[in-house]
Amino acid sequence: MTDDTAPLTPGAPADLAVDPVPVLSVEDLRVEYRLRKEKGRGHLVAVAVDGISLQVYPGETLAIVGESGSGKTSLANAVMRLVDTAAGRIMFEGVDLARLRGKALRSVRPRLQMIFQDPFESLDPRRTVLETVIEPLVINDIGTAEERHRRALEALETAGLTPAARIGERFTYELSGGQRQRVAIAAAMILQPSLVVADEPVSMLDVSLRAGILRLMADMRDRLGVGYLFITHDLSLAWMFADRIAVVYLGRVVEEGSPAELIGAPRHPYTKALVSVIPVPDTTVSVDRVVLTGEIPNPTAIPPGCRFHPRCPLYRELGEPEECRLVDPVLRVVETGTPTSERATYRVACHHAPRDARTTTGDAVAATAEEQTP
Amino acid sequence: MSLLEVRDLHVAYDVDGSLVRAVGGVDLTVERGEFLGLAGESGCGKTTLAMAIPRLLPRFASITSGSVVFDGVDLTALDERELSAYRWNEISVVFQGALNALNPVHPVGRQIAEPIRAHDPKVKDAEARDRAAELLEAVGIPARRAKDFPHQFSGGMRQRVMIAMALACRPRLVIADEPVTALDVMTQAQIIDLLRSLSEKYDLAMILISHDLSVLAQTCDRVAVMYAGTIAETGPSQEVFGEGADGVGARHPYTQRLLRAYPNIHRDRVFIDGIPGSPPDLSQEALGCSFAPRCLQAFDRCRTEVPVLRATGQGHVAACHLLDEGLGA
Repeated sequence: MTDDTAPLTPGAPADLAVDPVPVLSVEDLRVEYRLRKEKGRGHLVAVAVDGISLQVYPGETLAIVGESGSGKTSLANAVMRLVDTAAGRIMFEGVDLARLRGKALRSVRPRLQMIFQDPFESLDPRRTVLETVIEPLVINDIGTAEERHRRALEALETAGLTPAARIGERFTYELSGGQRQRVAIAAAMILQPSLVVADEPVSMLDVSLRAGILRLMADMRDRLGVGYLFITHDLSLAWMFADRIAVVYLGRVVEEGSPAELIGAPRHPYTKALVSVIPVPDTTVSVDRVVLTGEIPNPTAIPPGCRFHPRCPLYRELGEPEECRLVDPVLRVVETGTPTSERATYRVACHHAPRDARTTTGDAVAATAEEQTP
Repeated sequence: MSLLEVRDLHVAYDVDGSLVRAVGGVDLTVERGEFLGLAGESGCGKTTLAMAIPRLLPRFASITSGSVVFDGVDLTALDERELSAYRWNEISVVFQGALNALNPVHPVGRQIAEPIRAHDPKVKDAEARDRAAELLEAVGIPARRAKDFPHQFSGGMRQRVMIAMALACRPRLVIADEPVTALDVMTQAQIIDLLRSLSEKYDLAMILISHDLSVLAQTCDRVAVMYAGTIAETGPSQEVFGEGADGVGARHPYTQRLLRAYPNIHRDRVFIDGIPGSPPDLSQEALGCSFAPRCLQAFDRCRTEVPVLRATGQGHVAACHLLDEGLGA
């Protein structure tokens, strides 16, 4: 049973100077959706993911943060092979998932699991809890009936569903939202995956239940060494839970780095605006909110140059430089003063973002928070 | 006199012939032009309380006792015909899930004009159309888009249309039920800024219902936190979410625990806390404080005596025995 009151260090304070082999390495991924045919002009193409590269290391959480329409769910679905990829590679344990089909794909599936947002829809209400958790073992033909039963009970215990034997007999529809999400986690973890894609795993739950679920996920991460691709719209949860954050906008990563740096001193104007409007239940702090006008543009008509320039406060502040309208900025490395391993590298896609640690101004709300964490 | 005074309100649901108390004795006031946040987790009764004000409760729910006094008139004593003078004209509602509440086959302008004409038959079509266009502009949508259909709008824009509809008959109180819940953080910020500016422009009072305390903290003048059908705590946002004049913030252990369930990017990076256990079964009569089974500070009295709201600061009340015992929650 996970103790909801025990102190727990957020993130995993890993040795950032050393790069282990990533469990997932997405390289220049592109996901497109073909929409209705325009008269005499062929298909209209929405580019949901437009050249994203990222790595998830064992026992680590990479949070993908973005608004709706950013492409974060398409990215997750591509990794899970729920949608096809138009280009790029999805390297998982040494094989390219984008090219796997049929039997070969099924053989890696046990190591690659997903936790969905809505535990009211992701579980079959006609199955008991035990059947739900055993199912992955049955599908993958693992163990005898007895072994499966024992492993499922263990998985329920680990997920904080005790007494496991009694809860196992209940139907999933009889459970609360928090319990259902625990069942979903138990079912995802029973095959001991190396990567779990968690798509907004707590956003449907009451606030008082979120900590329990996230603690369980953190516990699994530390115990099994599972890596998480954590998809969320909630920057403050990402800040608390993840080891690294990638902010996506209109199919691209615009900024990537550690939670302390990215939230404490964001460099990209989009991240800055997002961070400024994060709601906190605290009236003792005052933040200059940057409320962007308009919405994320349509992915069938991505703006030229920097895709963020039509909404960018910095672009206007700088007198609308031509560069922003014409040149698509690359995600480049910036110096932050921390070790320069691949994993600790800080990246920004902006022509005019501060280029090194010295020029970072920002109000550094939590720039040193990582050091303060016991 | 306050604009709205809810006094000892009880609302019960008829579940298979037995009564379940959804709201169990709530006192609440809203001043003219005030922005009040109504917070609580699912099932705490916040929507039931809010919908009881204009008496828009579902058929199986009823007000069993108490009063709802709006501008000096007890709405619970009015018949349906008398009530219609208040609904929409004085008190309007932005319903939860409103993003899907617009009629897909009518242009939005026409849908905004509809309540204007329904509540004042003397208004001519052209006048209602003009007013709808004006309302669209007021919520930040160009008037030319009045001819567009709901599917041509994004979620945030549809919420703006719903807000325009709520303002159609120039009410003095708007009840907004989770108006930003399904929206992205930037769109949330846009809608909240809009609600605040409309409130100032039209001297509107607003009850903003949300499960998300962090959204209410930076929006509302005052906040009421509900638990298991009653108000646990009401106070100025500056006190509940900050350190009030006496250096103490939230007073009720439930509010205090709930606040620790949110990450705060302006403080140390620590793991959030949860509240183990679950709210009580409301079909059972409560013996003591309904939060006692989950409260780490509960003592004997909490299990036998229901706490009442006590003053704990200027305009700040909390229902907790700890305050009475001088222990300070």
